[in-house]
Amino acid sequence: MNSVYVLILGFIIAILGYRVYAKYIDSKVMKADSKRATPATMYMDGVEFMPTNKNILFGYQFKSIAGAAPIIGPIIAIQWGWLPALIWILGGALFIGWVQDYSSAMIAMRSDGASFGGLSHKLISPRARIILLSFIYFYLLLIAGAFGNVVVSTAIGLKASPMAWLFLTIGGILAGQMIYRWKKDIILTTVVTVLIAMSGIWLGTIAPSNAIVGDALSNSRPLWAIVAFVFCYFAAVLPIWRFALPINYVASYIVFLGLLFGIVGIFVLHPDFTLPAYTDFSIKIGPLWPIMFVTIACGAISGWHSIVSSSGTARQLENELDARPVGGGVMFVEMMLALFALIIAGTLYASPAEYGAAIAKGPGGVFAAGVSKFLGVLGMPADIGRAYGSVMMIVLAITIMQLVIRFMRISTSELLGDISPIFKNAHVGTVVASLLGITVVLTGWWQYLWVLFGGANQLMASLALMLVTAYLMSEGKSYAWAFYPMIFMFITTIAALLFTSYNLLSKVLSGAVTGEALIGNTLMGVVGFFLVIAAIILGIEGFKAFNRYKKLRLAAKPASA
Amino acid sequence: MSEKKKGGFFQAIKEFAYGVAAHDSARFALKTRASMEHLFILITMGDMLGVPILPPYYSLRLLPYVVPQISTWKRRMLREKDLTDALA
Repeated sequence: MNSVYVLILGFIIAILGYRVYAKYIDSKVMKADSKRATPATMYMDGVEFMPTNKNILFGYQFKSIAGAAPIIGPIIAIQWGWLPALIWILGGALFIGWVQDYSSAMIAMRSDGASFGGLSHKLISPRARIILLSFIYFYLLLIAGAFGNVVVSTAIGLKASPMAWLFLTIGGILAGQMIYRWKKDIILTTVVTVLIAMSGIWLGTIAPSNAIVGDALSNSRPLWAIVAFVFCYFAAVLPIWRFALPINYVASYIVFLGLLFGIVGIFVLHPDFTLPAYTDFSIKIGPLWPIMFVTIACGAISGWHSIVSSSGTARQLENELDARPVGGGVMFVEMMLALFALIIAGTLYASPAEYGAAIAKGPGGVFAAGVSKFLGVLGMPADIGRAYGSVMMIVLAITIMQLVIRFMRISTSELLGDISPIFKNAHVGTVVASLLGITVVLTGWWQYLWVLFGGANQLMASLALMLVTAYLMSEGKSYAWAFYPMIFMFITTIAALLFTSYNLLSKVLSGAVTGEALIGNTLMGVVGFFLVIAAIILGIEGFKAFNRYKKLRLAAKPASA
Repeated sequence: MSEKKKGGFFQAIKEFAYGVAAHDSARFALKTRASMEHLFILITMGDMLGVPILPPYYSLRLLPYVVPQISTWKRRMLREKDLTDALA
């Protein structure tokens, strides 16, 4: 099949989903009303609650949700064949993905801008709030581990990327200094710093890491893991304007220029899929159901989006009618990003053996080779294109990672601060989070780690859908459109997490793994089981709440004559 | 930012680019400033929330300068927050 048909199919699904399904739910079920005051207008504080234009929010939501996951998931999942992956991306986004993103924003908006902790307390039970927040902590640890692994494998697999990463960091720090300290013009700042970052990509090709630090160090996983977490350490402890935000600002230009020209390259080159449409139900990572459904997380559905939608976007929507384009519309754009990654993986290699050799080194190499190919059509030399793709991958992963470590620092001080005041120290909190992350990165097999991350992410999505269903029931609205996706996601993700955790721990108990793998398998297996137990308790609490709402509705009905 | 702007496709692209690249930076800058201001108001006007820190004489002298922000400050201080607030 030709890749352009896949893109066209994606456009059709996006238009159908957005213009028909989402519009119906928005106008007939949620009854979005432009006259109803939103929390942003009611509680405007000029900080968190701030009415913001929908185009700006569209960009904000896209930037917040589009990390490395929609790209890596399809690149790994094509091992089952491109057809199941394509069906899940399109079907998942159409029936589940946008539903979750949009409705998370809507229920937070209709609940005075409450975040998930408050919503779970109000809609389900007080216990649900504590379990949900502990669940989120471990979920974030898996994000740090999975994305850290992507950074490490990309830095090792593509020797040009560390130099590009270094120059991006320099450009970012300079951008922060120019904007906030020296008060320079934003356009001048952008041009200078993006050029610095771009020059790092070119320099990386003429001074690769092995030429500077030697072969041994350039291939050292501990070295790059420590570098990645030191980077995150600075992002977590320095004022956010000095490090994290300006680096993200400069990085966003690199990523979006790459994606834009990459998609143009696909249209120009319009290659056919070379990998098989379907390989086998059961492969090395696991069976197609449930494992593929968690391998492709973002792009089809992702729990991360619900956190952004509820705690970030819902407090800035100036009009209820904007929730559909911002919450729902962006999900379809991310679906297109996942299709872009699927096309890269499916059309790049002449045979499954070639793909297998490439994916064994990590998804970063596959993505970089694809970017190089499609940018090459527009005249970019292959080695610079590969360096460009590698830095895109690092940027997409590290921007989320630094946010996660910063967040874990805050939650460590909140959770453990009462036990000992030392945990309230920003440096201690960051070191605890970083050490946990480094342990996961260095000891876990990356494909299992990815599946666990995907499982936790999708489970988060089903918990978000549970909150949405409880809200819809409490309001007496039609809830099937959120309830059935929740049931599907809940069963699938519990099965995936149980399967992976069982595999990991059975290897530990049978003595099949030793050394680093023993630590990694035990840690990941235990975290997986913890997430399953937390989700099951939440599920029970959720169903109790559903029954409560059903009884209330029945009691509210007048007795028949 | 909130006022309706008339603009075509290029205006929308410009706003989208701002949303992608700079909106978060602006929000975090505002959050940082607000946190400092709110901490200051807590120290000077803590009485209003039952946290007396500064002697009332000084609080009363500062009161006229703080009046415009009191309602927003109270709402932000008393609103339930959780870990996800730090993420977005």
